[in-house]
Amino acid sequence: MFPTEHFLYLGALLFSSGLIVVIVKKNMIMVLLGIELMLNASNLNLVAFNQLHPGSVAGQMFALFVIIVAVCEAAVGLAIIIQVYRYYQTSVPDEVSELNG
Amino acid sequence: MIASYVFYLFEAVAAISAISLIFIRNVFYGALLLIICLLALAGIFVLAFAEFIAVTQILVYAGGILVVILFGIMLTTKISGKPLVVEHNNKFSATLTGVTFFALLIYALSKESFINTPSVASQENFNNLQLIGIGLMSDFVLPFEIAGVLLLIALVGASVVASSVKSKNT
Amino acid sequence: MEDIQSYEATYFTTCLVAAVALPLISFFLSFAISEKYSWIVSFSAPFLLLLSTVAAGFVFYAVWNHEPVNIQWHWFTCAGYTFTAGVLLNNIAALMLLLVTFISFIVHSYSTAYMAGDPDFRQYFAMLGFFTFSMLGIVVVDNLLLIFIFWELVGFSSYMLIGHWREKPEAAEAAKRAFLINRAGDIGFLIGLMILWANTGSFNLTDIDSLSGYSSWMTAASLCVFCGVMGKSAQFPLFSWLPDAMEGPTPVSALIHAATMVAAGIFLLARVYSLFTPPALDVVIIIGTLTALAGALSALVQFDLKKILAYSTISQLGLMVVAIGAGAPQAAMLHLFTHAFFKACLFLGAGSVIHSLHQAQHQSNTALDVQDIRNLGGLQKKLPFTFIIFLLSGAALAGVPLFTGFLSKDAILNSLMAWKGSDLSWRWLIFASAFLVSFITVLYTFRLIWSVFKGEEKVTASLSIEEPPVAMRVPMAILAATSCWLFVSWNPFDFSGWIYNGLTSVKHFHFTFIALVSAAWIVVALIVAYRIRERSFKSAVLLNGFYLDRVYRWLIESPAFQLALFTNKVDKKWIDGVLHTSAYLQLIAAHVTGWFDRVLVDGAVDGAAGLTKGIGSFARSFQSGKIQLYIFWAVFTIIIFIIWTLL
Repeated sequence: MFPTEHFLYLGALLFSSGLIVVIVKKNMIMVLLGIELMLNASNLNLVAFNQLHPGSVAGQMFALFVIIVAVCEAAVGLAIIIQVYRYYQTSVPDEVSELNG
Repeated sequence: MIASYVFYLFEAVAAISAISLIFIRNVFYGALLLIICLLALAGIFVLAFAEFIAVTQILVYAGGILVVILFGIMLTTKISGKPLVVEHNNKFSATLTGVTFFALLIYALSKESFINTPSVASQENFNNLQLIGIGLMSDFVLPFEIAGVLLLIALVGASVVASSVKSKNT
Repeated sequence: MEDIQSYEATYFTTCLVAAVALPLISFFLSFAISEKYSWIVSFSAPFLLLLSTVAAGFVFYAVWNHEPVNIQWHWFTCAGYTFTAGVLLNNIAALMLLLVTFISFIVHSYSTAYMAGDPDFRQYFAMLGFFTFSMLGIVVVDNLLLIFIFWELVGFSSYMLIGHWREKPEAAEAAKRAFLINRAGDIGFLIGLMILWANTGSFNLTDIDSLSGYSSWMTAASLCVFCGVMGKSAQFPLFSWLPDAMEGPTPVSALIHAATMVAAGIFLLARVYSLFTPPALDVVIIIGTLTALAGALSALVQFDLKKILAYSTISQLGLMVVAIGAGAPQAAMLHLFTHAFFKACLFLGAGSVIHSLHQAQHQSNTALDVQDIRNLGGLQKKLPFTFIIFLLSGAALAGVPLFTGFLSKDAILNSLMAWKGSDLSWRWLIFASAFLVSFITVLYTFRLIWSVFKGEEKVTASLSIEEPPVAMRVPMAILAATSCWLFVSWNPFDFSGWIYNGLTSVKHFHFTFIALVSAAWIVVALIVAYRIRERSFKSAVLLNGFYLDRVYRWLIESPAFQLALFTNKVDKKWIDGVLHTSAYLQLIAAHVTGWFDRVLVDGAVDGAAGLTKGIGSFARSFQSGKIQLYIFWAVFTIIIFIIWTLL
């Protein structure tokens, strides 16, 4: 009912913002937040395109599964962050750079 | 009419909260901003005839993940009483990349035109939820089951990874 | 060699070889005998020379008035030219052979007594033998190259003999000067040889004898050869060495500077006479006249006994050269022959005076210069034998009739008479000066004998002077006997006796009235000499030999010294400067290359390594371990990919 471009433009904005957040922030939790924002932007895109196909729920299914996977990934990611924090005593990603060359 | 205003309102909230997430330095405030953004997104989902996704979003995302993230924030800060404020780095390159990416997407999208057919969901008898339920058990049963297994694995894995029990090897 | 049969040929060859080689054996023997047995030398050396004289006598007998003996051997080839060595014995050579060996024998016997007690006794006799050998070499060989070799050997032996008492600086100086002036003349000799070779391709005397005609190269060659003669026979201006050579022992002066070495030049002129052209002969006669006059005038003012005799020798040599120039080499050879005997006798007599006075000095421990005639006088009573010797040979020198000197001078005057021609020209001047020279000869001879033997004794009155030993008196007596006219010809007024007729006659002339005129001239001169016997002549120029030594020093020594200093400076400043500069340049070049190597070459290598390191570091910087940068670069690449596909 609403023009699809709105959804898509908003999705693009959210995705770019999430990208910027991921690169800019000096805290691993903030990076995680950025990643969640990007995932939500892709969800929005999926739902928007689902509008264009009446009678099909594939888009919504896809979005559902994206949410589930995001949950798993956030859980494991947080576990890792906590473990890294315990070891390195820091939550700044730049300081965890032992794998450098 | 009112729907379009509501739509634009939700859109604005989502956009503003996303953009302000870039500039927020307080991690806690950032997480809260993300909750706002997610809730606004849920509203947009509703207006896009995807009620199930909207509710799932609120329940799982905003109520589950973000709460867990808040717990994570609390666990990864030193107890000092001061709010957790973070710096920014790579500002120039991030801005450049983000703006360029956004411009590219806008450009690509502007080239396309989307035919807006009236959605079947605007009919009276359209039952979206029933379709989703039937679909989960018939067309999408495999990804559904796998998603269940995945959740199990993630649960176990997260517990193991985050445990503080020292093993004999380390 | 056709007339001599094989037995006689062998006998002849043996005598020739013995005559020439025995003095050389005496030389080696005298050096080989050790110090302990040095008394042997005083017997061996004269004996060997006696054998040599006898052999020379046999050779003379075989060659005189027979065919000349000319034997040649192949010597060496060089660049296609063949050089031969050989002997040419004609009348002149045979005469000289006998003369040289005989006088050398006389001097050897005399020296056994004169040089007794001298520390370098053996070396003296060795060098006398070597000198005789070299002189005989000049006499017998048949080509100019060999003559030149023996010429130089004679010069060397005279150097050794003059400088016999080498601790005396004057003797060493005199020996050096004699040798150098000889060498200066020999430069001309060598150039003459070169001109001769370039034009005829041969040095042989027989080839020179067959020269005919008159060309400019012959004039040049003959004048250059005459340069050598000027040096050896003490002609003007190369005569200043002869008075200085009196520093040597007196027997040496008798042998070398009276009889033989100085006569070698005259002998050479007679041998190569065919080379001389009329213009060359004019030059020769002018120089001869100058020498004769210079020598005679200098002899008049000298005070040293031996120097008077030296200048007298110069004057007589000038007369011989005049005879050559007048076209009469046989007259010159006759005068050479007679002069050898009476001059040697005079020198030996002077030696006996000096020897006796030295002996007397040693016994009474007084110091006086025995050679200065102002210190001598009235020695007739104490040295009667020596006085008679001096009288006889002095008369021969002065040209008193009935003596040999008169005959040989007569021959020279006759040749001049024929040469001057009947027209009045400069030649009459030469003729007149020859008479003047014979006049002055009488004067200085009279002065010499009078001041030494007559008058009152001055400083020597207190000394007890004795006659010299027998070994010295017998040789003098033999030589004095040869001053008698019978030695040369039967007729005391005719010089064409056996010697003159035996020598090669180019022209034959005889003016009898010359003999009478010169006899009268001599008597006049004797009267004048007696009148002025108490007067003494003084002249600084004549006394110092016309200051020729100073002229040489100014002309040659100083410029040569300046040149040496200049070249030394050039060498030090420029050549060493060039060397130093090149060394510095090399050093600079080394530094530059070092800099080049260090900065550029090593820099290039280091640069390459640094570039690699930089690139590596740059590439490495992408792997910083920072997750957000990884994400950034990934997105960056994706953007580029999108742009590329989209646009």
